[in-house]
Formats: sequence, structure tokens, C-alpha cells
Amino acid sequence: MNKLVTWLNDRLGLSVFNSFLTKKEVPQHKHTIFYYTGSSILLFLGIQVVTGIMLALYYTPTLQAANASVVRIMTEIPLGWIIRSIHSWSASLMIAAVILHLLGIAFTKGYRKPRELTWMTGVLLLGIALGFGFTGYLLPWDNLSLAATKVGTDIPKAIPVIGAWATKLLRGGEDVTGDTITRFFIAHVCLLPLVIFFILGIHIFLVQRHGMSLPLEAERKGVKVPSLPFWPNFVLRETGVWLILLGCLITLAIVIAPSLGASADLMAPAPAGIKPEWYFIFLFQALKLVPSRIFGINGEQIAVLLMLAGFLVVFVLPFIDNRPSERKGRIITFVFSLAFIFTLVMTAWGLL
Amino acid sequence: MKLKYSAFTRRAFLNGLFGGGLAALGATFIGPIARFVFPPFREPDEVKLPAADYKDLGPTEAKNFAWGNKPGLLKKAADGSLQAFVLVCTHLDCNITYKPDLKKFYCACHEGWYDEDGKNVAGPPPSPLRKLGIGVEGDMIVIKKQG
Repeated sequence: MNKLVTWLNDRLGLSVFNSFLTKKEVPQHKHTIFYYTGSSILLFLGIQVVTGIMLALYYTPTLQAANASVVRIMTEIPLGWIIRSIHSWSASLMIAAVILHLLGIAFTKGYRKPRELTWMTGVLLLGIALGFGFTGYLLPWDNLSLAATKVGTDIPKAIPVIGAWATKLLRGGEDVTGDTITRFFIAHVCLLPLVIFFILGIHIFLVQRHGMSLPLEAERKGVKVPSLPFWPNFVLRETGVWLILLGCLITLAIVIAPSLGASADLMAPAPAGIKPEWYFIFLFQALKLVPSRIFGINGEQIAVLLMLAGFLVVFVLPFIDNRPSERKGRIITFVFSLAFIFTLVMTAWGLL
Repeated sequence: MKLKYSAFTRRAFLNGLFGGGLAALGATFIGPIARFVFPPFREPDEVKLPAADYKDLGPTEAKNFAWGNKPGLLKKAADGSLQAFVLVCTHLDCNITYKPDLKKFYCACHEGWYDEDGKNVAGPPPSPLRKLGIGVEGDMIVIKKQG
């Protein structure tokens, strides 16, 4: 065994990783809990990959067969219902973990120099995670998912110049049809996975390269923050968190299985009381409230452009918030809190 | 190496030539890929429906038909003439319903309302419903694109 390890090490140079792991340290302070959100995302992502491949063994991405193939998974395939339920719940929990991860870093201003690119790749990963959620939502092909996709793919139309093309690209034509299912399936199982692993690779590399960020105060005052070795002390604690999360996930998946309506009818009216997944509800509620005209301009267009601008601001936040411990930094934290409260209120309102 | 009076070094010139050539080659692929990815538009020019099915349509009744991939609706206007609408919300593309008792169109997605003439009257819809032209050919009603 030892001989094999030495043989491999001579060829792969794995000792670099080994010495890195033994040196890696995790600072201990009152915000340490946020360090666990990153590995929680990885746990859920791993579960998505495994359950996703399993579901793809039976799922058929066509107009005629999509809904029926999900019915088959839910009713005929042994344990199919629970695999689908875990996939659905793990998606929700992953996005929740991504949001917590982002909030923790935003409020501790962990994105400050030299971690700007870590933040930016992270915001892109949030976008990709939402893309996974959006494309996956259509695949069961019931009237709810059809209506949600019609709305979601119509939103880009409000963007000037490229909007109409973006909608056509997403739908594979003017309308949501069978071609859209195929397109969303390919995005969900091929395109987005390629992109997410590429960007995630960069993100994790950057996290290792710069190490964990320290609290702003401690860094400014040059206080020595106590730390814990990553291996094995922190990994042991993370394993504990993983086991708890896994327990919660499986409990949720068994107790509350996702619903499945009858196969979508392209001619049927949108069902009453439609709602998107919880992470899109603030957008849904905002679009519902915006009047059709604001000062003679299309209200929806203004709302969509504002959302886009919001995403861009979050994306380049490290460059806007470039003096985090001064007055400017505090104002930005205040504005960010307001935006966060707005999102929470909209989500709560939309859920009611 | 840089020749006298030359703006570039030989290396920069060659880099530009090869790099630019490869970029140009790459760019020629964009058009064909885009053409493949965007399928042709498939909206029908006209839809024919047997007139007998719609002859006895009461003033508060409406009947659906398929306008390509979209739902359409045929109903009597206040003056008794036939009207055809594309039953798709002008806000965010949801399929809508006609409520004969209220004489209004309703979109469940974001609670948009249109009056019996398809005019947007409440909620987020920015413009009236799309109307289709109606003609008669023998015993068929012909529904066509308008405008």
C-alpha cells in the first residue's frame, strides 16, 4: 500500500495537496458559522448530481412523454418518488445555502481586496444555481410549470435590443413548446453542469489561494484571531453539519413530496393561484405590483431593467464598496440591508 | 526585430496576422450556429373553422380554437359581429380565460384584466389583446393575421 502511494505520488505530485491541507487553517470568531455554508452547498450539489443522473435514466424530454415519464418515476420505479423528492428539496436547500453564504460574506464584507474575483464568481454561481432551478422546474411539464416558464422566458423580452432574441433562444421559437422542454433539459443536464463546474473550480481555487477572510475589525486593528486546523478539526465539524443537513433533507423529502399536475396543455389558461419557486417569488410579486405604465414608459420594462441593474450592482459590489471600514462602507451596508428587507417583504407578501 | 519606419515589430505583425486570422475563422462559425439554434417562425397565416359550429353562438358564449401553438377565442361582439382574439396576455405571455358572466378576459398569472373588446383595463397588462381578422369562404370561417 505504502509502495503504491509513493508510486502515485512520484507521478502525480500529490504531496503538494497534502502539505497544503495540513497547513490550511480556519479562523475562529463570532462569524465562523458562515464558513460552514460553503461546504453545505457542496453537499447539496453532490446530491443533485447523483439524484439528477438517476432521474435522467427514466426521464424523457419530449412534449408527449415528459409528464408521463415523471409519473412513471413517481409510481412505478422503486423509490422513484423519494429520489425525485430529494432532488427537488436538495435544489431548494442548495439555493437557500447559496443565499446564506452570499449574505454572510456581504455583511462581513468578506469580498474586499483581494477577494473580489471570489465574490464575482460566487455571484455567477448563484445565477447558475437559479438557472438550474428555472430549467428544472419546467421538466415535469404540468400546467404550473408551463405557466411559470412562459412568464420566465418572456421576461427577457423587456430588455432592449437583445431581449426578443434571448426569449427566442430560451424557448427554441416564438412559443413555449416541446422544443423548449428539450432545450431546457439539455441546459439542465449538460450545459449548466459544464459551466457550474468550471466556475466552481475557479471559485474554490481562489478560496484556497487567499485563505479564509478575517473579520473586518480584526484585520484593521491587526488583532491575532485564533484558528483551527482545517484537517482534521474543521472537517470533523463540517461532517457533523453534513449529517444534520442530510437528516433534514431526507425527512423533508419523505414528509413533503413535490406535487405533479396533469400533463400541460398548450391551449389551457394559466391555472389560478400560480406561484413560482420561493426564490423567484420576490420577482413575481414585484412584477405583479408594477403598474402597466410609469410616466408613459412600459412598467414591466422598468422593473426588469431595475432587477438587472440590481444583479449587476451585486456582481461588482467589491469595487463599489472599496473602503469598507469607512463611512461609505457603512452606507453601503445600510442600503444592502434595505434591499434585503425589501426582498424579504416581497417574498412574504407573495407567499401569503 | 523592427524595421526602420515600421509601426510594428515583425513578431507583433505575425501575431496579429495569425491571431486575427484565427479570430476571423472563429467568427464565421457564429452565423451558422445562430441559424441552427433559432428555429424558423411557425405562426399560421390563417386558420379555417367550419362556420356551422359557430353559427349559433349566443351573445354571452365564446369558443376556443387553436391559433398555431397559441389558444384563440371566437366570440360575438356587442354589435353581434364575430370577433377573434389570441388568448395570450400581453404582459408576460400567460394563456388567459374569457369570463362570459363578467364579459372580461382574465389572466391568472399576475391578475390582469381586459374588457370584452380586449382592451387592457386593470392589472399589469401594457396593451390590448391581439385581435385576428375574420372572413368567410364558403362554409368556412377564415381567421387571419391582422395588420
